[in-house]
Amino acid sequence: MVSFPFVNTGKYDHIPDQQLLENFYSDHDNEWLGILLQRYTLLLLGVCMKYLKNEDEAKDCVQQIFLKVIQELHKYKVDYFKSWLYMVAKNHCLMKLRYKHGKIPAELESQPIAAPEETDKKELEQTDHVLDLMEDSIQELNPEQQQCVTLFYLQKKSYQQVSDMTGFSMLQVKSYIQNGKRNLKILIEKKLKNNIKQ
Amino acid sequence: MREDLKNILSNLNTDIDQETLLLYLQDKLSEEQKHEVEKKLANNEFADDAMEGLKEIKDKQQVAYMVEMLNRDLKKKTEKKKQRRQNLQLKDQSWLYMAIFIIVLLIIISYIIIHKMLKDQ
Repeated sequence: MVSFPFVNTGKYDHIPDQQLLENFYSDHDNEWLGILLQRYTLLLLGVCMKYLKNEDEAKDCVQQIFLKVIQELHKYKVDYFKSWLYMVAKNHCLMKLRYKHGKIPAELESQPIAAPEETDKKELEQTDHVLDLMEDSIQELNPEQQQCVTLFYLQKKSYQQVSDMTGFSMLQVKSYIQNGKRNLKILIEKKLKNNIKQ
Repeated sequence: MREDLKNILSNLNTDIDQETLLLYLQDKLSEEQKHEVEKKLANNEFADDAMEGLKEIKDKQQVAYMVEMLNRDLKKKTEKKKQRRQNLQLKDQSWLYMAIFIIVLLIIISYIIIHKMLKDQ
């Protein structure tokens, strides 16, 4: 297995994000933020690349986001660091894009920061009834979504394998899986509501 | 098969470490491992967006190096400020000691002068 020693932060790996943030809030030592942010460098680089489509600009943008995060965290308390960081990164990239296209840079409206997706107890307690509904609902998806969802989730194929088997592009596969999953959730919720009414 | 249905609506543990993401990006994982990463990506918007962007980097082998450079720069920034603050604290303390020393010295000199003046009278 290839390893990337510089990607990890070594001795601090066992400390959760929230603890690192609390350490920072208690002594205002930026080194804690350095350790925390290093965990997200790759993700930030990727998000910046997605929006800016230029490697040098993306690297500059990541550095600017680091500075912004360090400044902002000195001003106020953040509860859900990962979600907040993602929002800061996206807003910063969009602001740069606006600026690049000759418009007045403006902060996007602040979006509510969602709590990290918690383990939904209902999902853990998925009853036989819900699983029955799911089996039925998969049949109601359109053929492309049905095929991709089945191959990906039930037959555990990778995107590439699904793409090879169906002839869809990787992007199409991803889109069919995401939309299929969303539609499936809607269908099940609808059926559960109907069951309660009956 | 029926158990696998649970994966569709599950949001359990969607965190993916950077090393695994890099290996996925460089196509160095088995199909099974790829599937596991993709299952998590489907529930992790941040990582999914990032992966979309990272795929646009031409030389995938350079990604780890780019991350390393960014991390080094970040470390410099966060450590420099700490060092500066420590230096400032030391400087502040040396000024404090100097001020106390001068005040004590002035008090002693004043005492000696006043004492001598009073003796002369």
